[in-house]
Amino acid sequence: MLKPLLVLCLGNEIISDDRFGPEVARRLQEESGEGLGADVIFAPLAGFRLLDLLAGRRAALIVDTIRTGHAAPGTLHEFPAGVLTPSKNLTTSHQISLPTALELGRQLGVELPEVIDVLAVEAHDLETLREEMTAPVQEAMDKALQFVYQWIERNSSKESDHADSN
Amino acid sequence: MKSVVIDPITRLEGHGKIHLFVNDDGSLANCYFQVPELRGFEQFCVGRPAEELPRITTRICGVCPDAHHMASAKAVDAVFGVTPTSASLKLRNLVYNAFYGGDHTTHFYALGGPDFVCGPDAPPAERNVLGVIAKVGVEVGKLVIAQRARGQRAIEIIGGKKVHPVTAVPGGMSKRVTKEEQAELIKIGEEMVEFAKFTIQVLNDIVLANKGYVDLILSDMFTHNTYSMGLVDANNKVNFYDGKVRVVDPNGKEHCKYEPKDYLAYVAEHVEPYSYLKYPFLKKVGWKGFVDGVESGVYKATPLSRLNASDGMATPLAQAEYERFYETLTGDKSGRKPVHQTLATHWARIVELMYACEATLAMAKDDEITSDKLVNKPERIVGEGIGIVEAPRGTLTHHYKTDDKGIITEANLIVGTTNNNAPITMSIQKAAAGLIKKGTKITDGILNRIEMAFRAYDPCFGCATHSLPGEMPLEVIVHDAETGEVVQNARQNC
Repeated sequence: MLKPLLVLCLGNEIISDDRFGPEVARRLQEESGEGLGADVIFAPLAGFRLLDLLAGRRAALIVDTIRTGHAAPGTLHEFPAGVLTPSKNLTTSHQISLPTALELGRQLGVELPEVIDVLAVEAHDLETLREEMTAPVQEAMDKALQFVYQWIERNSSKESDHADSN
Repeated sequence: MKSVVIDPITRLEGHGKIHLFVNDDGSLANCYFQVPELRGFEQFCVGRPAEELPRITTRICGVCPDAHHMASAKAVDAVFGVTPTSASLKLRNLVYNAFYGGDHTTHFYALGGPDFVCGPDAPPAERNVLGVIAKVGVEVGKLVIAQRARGQRAIEIIGGKKVHPVTAVPGGMSKRVTKEEQAELIKIGEEMVEFAKFTIQVLNDIVLANKGYVDLILSDMFTHNTYSMGLVDANNKVNFYDGKVRVVDPNGKEHCKYEPKDYLAYVAEHVEPYSYLKYPFLKKVGWKGFVDGVESGVYKATPLSRLNASDGMATPLAQAEYERFYETLTGDKSGRKPVHQTLATHWARIVELMYACEATLAMAKDDEITSDKLVNKPERIVGEGIGIVEAPRGTLTHHYKTDDKGIITEANLIVGTTNNNAPITMSIQKAAAGLIKKGTKITDGILNRIEMAFRAYDPCFGCATHSLPGEMPLEVIVHDAETGEVVQNARQNC
């Protein structure tokens, strides 16, 4: 059965800093396993396919990499997914971005989480095929895990408030 | 002279650029198409056990991992000299067709659709999947989402995971399908066929009923007379998973038909200094540059070329649509006269969608898919294997060599879009030359028509990273043809 909370870790294990998401998922599963108050899914995917994973949850935390160019590599950014701007031009199958997919899901009545937060690490290397992250991104891992645990706790209590009010 | 570049600027990886070099009088001097490539993947495979590659190569692409899984599995079967069991071949075929059903749906409604449903002159803010939904209605959008979900569920049942399939192993498949799951797959197949019928109606109502769009599809600006490549079965019918590679010339005459293992005798690669991506061409015809015709080794590997390279479809409704397609566009329903209009690729994709849905249903009804004879155990190491499937966006080749322990020593991959690198370049050049004349003001509408020539191929760039926000836009950059100076950055990612 689906847990109301989802930690959705995106990335690719074989591209340097893009490994951050899958590593967070691995650490969470290793440290807490089934006892965690949220389902943890690693997905090397984007766009439409994320709708399938988000549907039916009450709250979701997306863990991913980002390159804003305005922060040092390893910096953790946290923000609601709503602040990302949907893409306006479409050229390939890859063009359905997360915000576009979410907007589409909402318009189509897909049962999306009430809360979708994003935790993204500023990446340094998203080009090199290797199974190691760069040092600053690797060093951000513990802090990211702490954030995830706090997010789960915070949203679990909201979940029980939600249940009480029903 | 000025130049226009179309380039995504928000991400460094996975972006493409179109450079337009424009003379002082506004006419087009030259045009280049550049795409990035996921360089080094072949080297990354070296030193790994061959049987791991069907799972590793799915990381090449977030859009068609299923195609890489299957091509890799076939190559690994060959490395171990083992033929998969009959039941596992049916399962591979079934899941692959279900994947096609979702992928072609996405392209038609979300990627190609905006050009026709919203129109090429619609502002970029409206010319997207949200604009399509606004035009055709939320209910259609829900059907599209449901169709995609069906494909995903079929992949989960057979491929073991909703996100990426993992069950193809040397000699077969690792997961059995239960009777209950078979019943679910049959229902999925039935609903997919109904959805494909509905999509043909949408194509008729929105695209074919609009003379302006039909004229655009048929215009010389979007036409190239190249060779056509596609995988065919023993009856020369389109097949996505298995068979021989058949190539017909621009007049429809068979140029060659070969086993995947012989691909190097037929395909070679040309290199241009401005692009990392190579330009495959037909070896026996030769590279003559970016030109059309029987003397030029340029070929296409797309839904359109697959139809051209075949003698028809193996399922009844798809065959009927195949005949309507050719009768409408060439006057000959046999399909022996190829269609060369690039924008007709969108219609060809719908013919294939119909086939994929019918094939999914037919294979789901086959009771052998619940057999427990899933794997023929590999007992030797041949040391070399080549696997070819049709990815939605073109013929996909995986070629591995191993040592006597099955460890990869060499890998070569020709992905779908790479096949089409030369025709994409030619299509963009021709569209740009047709649209940009002396005194032409370069508008969004003109740039979009140039992009349409490229978008019809459903190209896939080096796309292995998935960092936020998850977009891979394209940028058009206009240069002064004399100085090379950038005078217009026509399309930045909004």
